[in-house]
Amino acid sequence: MIQHLVDGILVGSILSLGAIGLTMVMHMLRFANFSHAELLSIGAYCALVFDGVFKALYPPLGNVVGPLSLTWALTLSILISMTITAASAILIDLLVFKRVRSKGGELSMVFASFGVAMIIRNVLGLMFGLQAKLYSQDIVFAVVLSHDPLLLVKPDQIFSLVAALLIMVILHLVLAHTTFGYALRAVAENPNLSQVSGINLNRMIILIWIIGGGLAAAAGVFYGLTNQINPVLGRDLLLPIFAATIVGGIGSIYGAAMGGFLVGIASNLALLILPSGYSPAVPFLIILAVLIVRPTGFFGEERA
Amino acid sequence: MNKHIKHAALTVGLAIGISAYGSAAFAQDCTTKIGAVLPTSVDWGKPIAATAQYVVDQINEAGGVAGCQIEMVLRDSQVDPKVGVDAAKALVDLDGVQVLIGAVSSGVSMPILTSVTVPAGVMQMSCCSSSTAFTGLAQEGKTRGLWFRTFATSGVQAAVGAMVARDRGHKSVAILYKNDDWGQDIGKLIAADFESVGIEVTASVALNDGQASYRAEVTEALKGQPEALYLALYPKEGTAAVREWISLGGTQNMIVANSLKSDEFRDNVGLQYLGNTVGTDTASPRSESASAFVEQYTAHFGGAPSGPGLANSYDATMIALLAMEAAGKDADGAQIASMVSKVTDPSGTPITADADGFKQAREVLAGGGSVFYQGATGNVRFDANGDVSAPAVTWGFSDAGTKELSFISLTDVDAFMASLK
Repeated sequence: MIQHLVDGILVGSILSLGAIGLTMVMHMLRFANFSHAELLSIGAYCALVFDGVFKALYPPLGNVVGPLSLTWALTLSILISMTITAASAILIDLLVFKRVRSKGGELSMVFASFGVAMIIRNVLGLMFGLQAKLYSQDIVFAVVLSHDPLLLVKPDQIFSLVAALLIMVILHLVLAHTTFGYALRAVAENPNLSQVSGINLNRMIILIWIIGGGLAAAAGVFYGLTNQINPVLGRDLLLPIFAATIVGGIGSIYGAAMGGFLVGIASNLALLILPSGYSPAVPFLIILAVLIVRPTGFFGEERA
Repeated sequence: MNKHIKHAALTVGLAIGISAYGSAAFAQDCTTKIGAVLPTSVDWGKPIAATAQYVVDQINEAGGVAGCQIEMVLRDSQVDPKVGVDAAKALVDLDGVQVLIGAVSSGVSMPILTSVTVPAGVMQMSCCSSSTAFTGLAQEGKTRGLWFRTFATSGVQAAVGAMVARDRGHKSVAILYKNDDWGQDIGKLIAADFESVGIEVTASVALNDGQASYRAEVTEALKGQPEALYLALYPKEGTAAVREWISLGGTQNMIVANSLKSDEFRDNVGLQYLGNTVGTDTASPRSESASAFVEQYTAHFGGAPSGPGLANSYDATMIALLAMEAAGKDADGAQIASMVSKVTDPSGTPITADADGFKQAREVLAGGGSVFYQGATGNVRFDANGDVSAPAVTWGFSDAGTKELSFISLTDVDAFMASLK
């Protein structure tokens, strides 16, 4: 029981990072972006490439950090991956979403995002192959936190959780205490009115993609660190991330963060009641339950 | 003018056609059709169909079946149940076949069996369907003895897995299986087999395709602290689950199904953790008749039979034709099906899997005797449900990939499986 709870929190932190980016994009650009989870894949593969590059350039970087399987090279790669993924997100917006936005409606955007997701997935498959890849071949053994009740945690997961929480806190500080954060909230509230107040909407959209892409990249790397990397990683995480976004309420960053943990915990605890074959249904059930009980999500507000 | 030439040409053509027909009829006065529904539109399906046709050609050269030439009407199943059923319906209703070869996938063979061949009383012989759902159907009497297959069921592999666990002295085992038809089938079978050799199954957990994390499932399987782990998974989720399992301190005593015989799995888990892993697989028999088939096939097709189900396809077609020979001319599906035991009779005259063997069988059968077909997959023997057994191997991971650990002969497999029931 306690093990499932802890596992849920650890998995949830990754979902939260993904959901925060998604909720911002969905709220500002007003469309369900089904390609968002693919940014996690881009981030994960990007870090894989740079991890290799750094190790080749300067072998001491290949040493692991403390008890983790994470190397210094990979730590650096996370930062580079966040940058590149953010850049890819902007590029995708310029190439696809911006054009569709100016011509088509909300539904066209949704379909375009499906197309983008498929393209990214298949390009990654072409470039890196369909087989699973790993940052490190070594298996890091879990640490026994308590014997009764038995509680096992992998050091990598603790790192992912701490790093994810840190990123969320930084984001919170930026949004709550800077002019940029204020502007962002203004755009979310009412794009037209915010423009009247002198906010550059296009610049805001780019900033949103940067945040969304960066967070997704971090989530992708953390996922790869605790699981494995493959081209369908984004597709597998899409539903839990959407569930987290909807539970939290579209547009609510804090809601998305909480939603991620909630979905993670619920999926893990579900195994105590449901046979394991049914566990993929849990995110769906959560979405349904939330939509019936509180259609705007826990932290969401009704949109005018 | 033009019209006249056309007319004349047509008449001449017709005359030639009739005379050609006449000369063929003179050599052999009848043609019997058999049907085949095989996935010829996929690359691995073509050789299976070619092998079946090869058998028919051989038998026709040897004088045909029951005095008639055999014509195999081949239709593509496209690995699609709907297409397969349509094809089978056309063969049975329009061509009037009494024997149907096919299909390959269990998912295609099953609807053909239940909605076409059994209602029409046509015998169906599959080269390659492995699902134990057919066994269940046969036990309920719903196949009416018309169903046979020359491919061993998942039961063989499950039994060998239990045998390995027993021989290694494990007292308790947890099972992780893939949540699809194959995985559910083998997961259920192995659980029953473990129980019957006195091994406790601490947990049996289904793993779904494409899940973000298998942590919860693995934790669930770990709970009972089993001495060994049985895996019926594919490499992708297998790697993820086993890495979790090992990192959480699970036992490295693992028994795995043939689906994990992959370099991806070995490399991503790491050879250092797989020292105590034993895999199972069904195998070709190490018999003379099996090597004779390989030689014969290589000589005819210019390459060794490397694809799946080729030896099985050869035997399926040959046994069907032998049964037709035994049943005599104009026999119906049920009569032909009832003759299968007569041509695979262990106390009968052994015959080889080629044209000569067929000629010999013809004489023996004409004299009222029975024959024992020594096929490409060994001494084929169907049980009451139309299932065959197969020899098995156990294997382990090595630097070069996998290495065979032991060969378990058909007799040993059969004996062990009988001891389970």
